Amino acid sequence: MNQEAIKELLYKMADDQLILGHRNSEWTGFGPLLEEDIAFSSMAQDKVGHSLALYTILNDLGEQDPDTIAFTRNADQFHNTVLTELPNAEYDFSLIRHFLYDTAEALRFEMLSHSSFEPLALVATKVRGELRYHTMHANTWVKQLGAATEESIGRLQQSLELALPYALGIFEPSPYESDLIKEAIFEGEKALEEKWKKKIEEVIAQTQLHLPKWETIAPHYGGRTGKHTEYLQPLLDEMSEVFKIDPTAEW
Amino acid sequence: MKSLDPRVNRLPKTDSANTAPKVPLDQFGTFEVFVQPKAGKPFQHEGIVHAPNLEMAYVLAKEAFTRRFTCVSIYVAETRNIHISALTDGDDDAYNHVSEVTPEGEKTSFEIFHLFKRGKQHQHVGAVVATNPNEALWIASQELRTDKQVFNIWTIRTSDIRFTNQDDMDLWLTLPEKKFRDAAAYKGGDKLKTFLEASKN
Repeated sequence: MNQEAIKELLYKMADDQLILGHRNSEWTGFGPLLEEDIAFSSMAQDKVGHSLALYTILNDLGEQDPDTIAFTRNADQFHNTVLTELPNAEYDFSLIRHFLYDTAEALRFEMLSHSSFEPLALVATKVRGELRYHTMHANTWVKQLGAATEESIGRLQQSLELALPYALGIFEPSPYESDLIKEAIFEGEKALEEKWKKKIEEVIAQTQLHLPKWETIAPHYGGRTGKHTEYLQPLLDEMSEVFKIDPTAEW
Repeated sequence: MKSLDPRVNRLPKTDSANTAPKVPLDQFGTFEVFVQPKAGKPFQHEGIVHAPNLEMAYVLAKEAFTRRFTCVSIYVAETRNIHISALTDGDDDAYNHVSEVTPEGEKTSFEIFHLFKRGKQHQHVGAVVATNPNEALWIASQELRTDKQVFNIWTIRTSDIRFTNQDDMDLWLTLPEKKFRDAAAYKGGDKLKTFLEASKN
């Protein structure tokens, strides 16, 4: 099996989960209502857990141990899509990002549960219940707020338009696309993107939100090859603060 | 003053001068959450969540009440749709205050919950078919009452409950592995002991 292709896939998935998990965890204690604070924090913790599972596979393939991978790289060595590193700003943006990203994540894992690369297929199968909840949570909120008041619809619409170019960046073409498809490791970013668009359309159609035509949205690429915004490095510095003081600390 | 928590310093600035105070009671309604801890065990009342509607209540209840201890299924119902039997004191059984009711209107299904111990949660004991909650209580007294004392009875129309769909049963798949969410898993006492031992030397 093409190890380089597998590693590229694992790194971008794991980095997405770690960065978005950390970003979402910034809401802990500040959520719009207690129950939502708990739910969003809990899902952020799930995401960090997914990144650990994927970094562990990378470790088995000869990469460094998960903590070293997570806490010692600089921004330009991360392969997360830019969508995941953008600051939270207000809750409507975090919610829309959660909806757009988690829909893609759930579909990606669903596709990977049939992967010929068994360790990844096992992880994908195992986390399906968590992802089912994440998408249920996102869809329910988007349907609720996307059809509630003028303010809630307006806010979601604005965040949706802001986030969509970055969301398309999730599917940045991989140099290993044909290898992954040929070896039945993964059906590829293009196939995932098509499934994702259908799903997003399906949910948005149940709201008063307006989805711009896909061809009018220019995808924001670069994250997969380490081209990030100024927001990623401060996140990494904050996330690795304790590790850098004491790499053996348990907390 | 700047906070030591960088997240606080990043929060969007609010224009507090122009913020109108909230109207009293301007908050979401409450919903009652029932949890089934293991397959074959009865559902029991676990607590409440605030939510704008039944579906949101279900979504929020899942994490609020089932992110730590074992669970195989949940359901929720709006608080106002729970019919509560007459309150009792001491050893007085709640069924002593239930009397026969003449059926009126269409028959539907009701879920019945018993409080077996004061201060504990209501437990699901079965369903009955009746035309209204009071008649449901009467039928429950005929069909579901046992020798066990019951301090209070809840009745909920089955159609008012948001159940877990068959497809969503895998929501709790990885729960047994999330012991790290228990405060006990952090072993705070052990860590403190090690620290104190180390600082003695």
